[in-house]
Amino acid sequence: MNRALDRQPATPQREWSRFKFPGSLIKYGIWLSILVFLAYTVKYLDIPLDRLLGMFGRLGSTLANRYYPPDIEYIMDLDYLEYVVETIQMAYLGALFGLLASIPLGWFGSYNMTPSRLYVFPIARLISMGCRSVHEMIWAILFVTIIGFGMLPGVLALTFFCTGFAAKLFAEEIEAIDMGPVDAMRASGANLFQIMLFGVFPQVRVAFTGIAIYTWDVAFRAATVVGFFGAGGMGWYLKRNILQIETERVAAILLSIIFLVLISEVLSAWARARVMKMK
Amino acid sequence: MAVLEVRDLCARYSASGPEVLKGISFSVEADDFFAVIGPSGSGKSTLIRCINRLVNPSGGEILFYDREVTKLRGRQLRLLRRDIGMIFQEFNLIDRMSVMDNVLSGRLGYTGNLRTLFRAFPRDDIQHALNLLDQVGLLEFVDKRADELSGGQRQRVGIARALMQNPKLLLLDEPTSALDPKISREVMSLIKRMTTELKVPCLCNIHDVTLALEFCNKIIGLQDGKKMFDGPAEEMDQSMLDKIYEMEVL
Repeated sequence: MNRALDRQPATPQREWSRFKFPGSLIKYGIWLSILVFLAYTVKYLDIPLDRLLGMFGRLGSTLANRYYPPDIEYIMDLDYLEYVVETIQMAYLGALFGLLASIPLGWFGSYNMTPSRLYVFPIARLISMGCRSVHEMIWAILFVTIIGFGMLPGVLALTFFCTGFAAKLFAEEIEAIDMGPVDAMRASGANLFQIMLFGVFPQVRVAFTGIAIYTWDVAFRAATVVGFFGAGGMGWYLKRNILQIETERVAAILLSIIFLVLISEVLSAWARARVMKMK
Repeated sequence: MAVLEVRDLCARYSASGPEVLKGISFSVEADDFFAVIGPSGSGKSTLIRCINRLVNPSGGEILFYDREVTKLRGRQLRLLRRDIGMIFQEFNLIDRMSVMDNVLSGRLGYTGNLRTLFRAFPRDDIQHALNLLDQVGLLEFVDKRADELSGGQRQRVGIARALMQNPKLLLLDEPTSALDPKISREVMSLIKRMTTELKVPCLCNIHDVTLALEFCNKIIGLQDGKKMFDGPAEEMDQSMLDKIYEMEVL
């Protein structure tokens, strides 16, 4: 008994643990549940790992036997090139209209600069979220169903897609500005429109340009496939040849899409780097 | 006649938050250069921002040339604001615009939306801006971008922008805190000289008591949202200062 008392140190014992009661339990509980769900999903889907491993061998032989050589002559055809130009035009119009719609939507949907936090802000946020929550392919199917085949449904689908994409980024950019110049413009008796032009726009101009180029980039990538559902552009060629099992032509078309998207990405990366340097 | 009369002004930032101003009263005359001093967090900035309603007071009255300010909305509020110039601690210039456009932005309250869109300011405004830039000594910087200037130069642009409004009252929110002591004195004497010449009364937040005593004719001292002193600068003495600043180290 005495010995137990002797072991007590002279200073009072202080308690400290890295693992606080509710916080640590929740944190590790979440990690555990993620792992459990992963195991459950793999088990439920019954993923055959041996087939997964054999995939690469089969991919090689499929490509070599069926998709090689790609029918380059087919994509050099004038008719096809016309569709490529149409795709570019669709992406251009979709990105342009989408960006034009995004400027007011981004303004109204930014918490710091919206004309009314109670009414305008939630409506603008709802519209941009609505545009974003529907996939661009679904928009394409929707508009083809409503207004028929051709370029117009493609442009509309891309417009909605770009609106959802850019309006959110614009709004976030406006919410991150320095409010000092805004206060100065308010203090001079400027109205909201003037405050936007002088206090806000100069601060977000460069970022907006970068976002606009990025928007064009994703619009072009989306434009290459919306034709799959009859909404204009080279996607239609892709679908037709897949259905006709013209695999060598499909290979050529896929190559052309990859090539064009690569060019577009390189160009827009270069343009954005230039813009960002402008400050 | 009092240019500005503040009666029992109260302010808080949220309905349940603490009161930042607890019933402040004072009045500014036409030839006053009025200083507001006090420790950090005493409510100086809030007080100044209530005058042009960048902050909405929660109680009390503000009379500007006998016009009640606290209830104004929309266009009436903008008309009030364009009569009151403001100079800021952090200058609040538009960095990516030229010095000229920054000065011209002081005229926005007088300019239509279409003219604003194309930055097509009237010829008279441009003349006025050039005159003011000459007076603050920045005429050769007219086409420079605002972010290329030094601190003192930026505040001079701020002064020109505020005077562009032809204000009937000038609010100064710590105009020299971001500047070094020598430039601070230069900027203060420039403001003093130009406002005396244009007969614009000033209400100036300042934490540098020496500058306040040197440039201002009247002083109010704030402590924790309450007025501790109100009188001519000559009546301010060390014991009063100690009393005002006693709560600073908290």
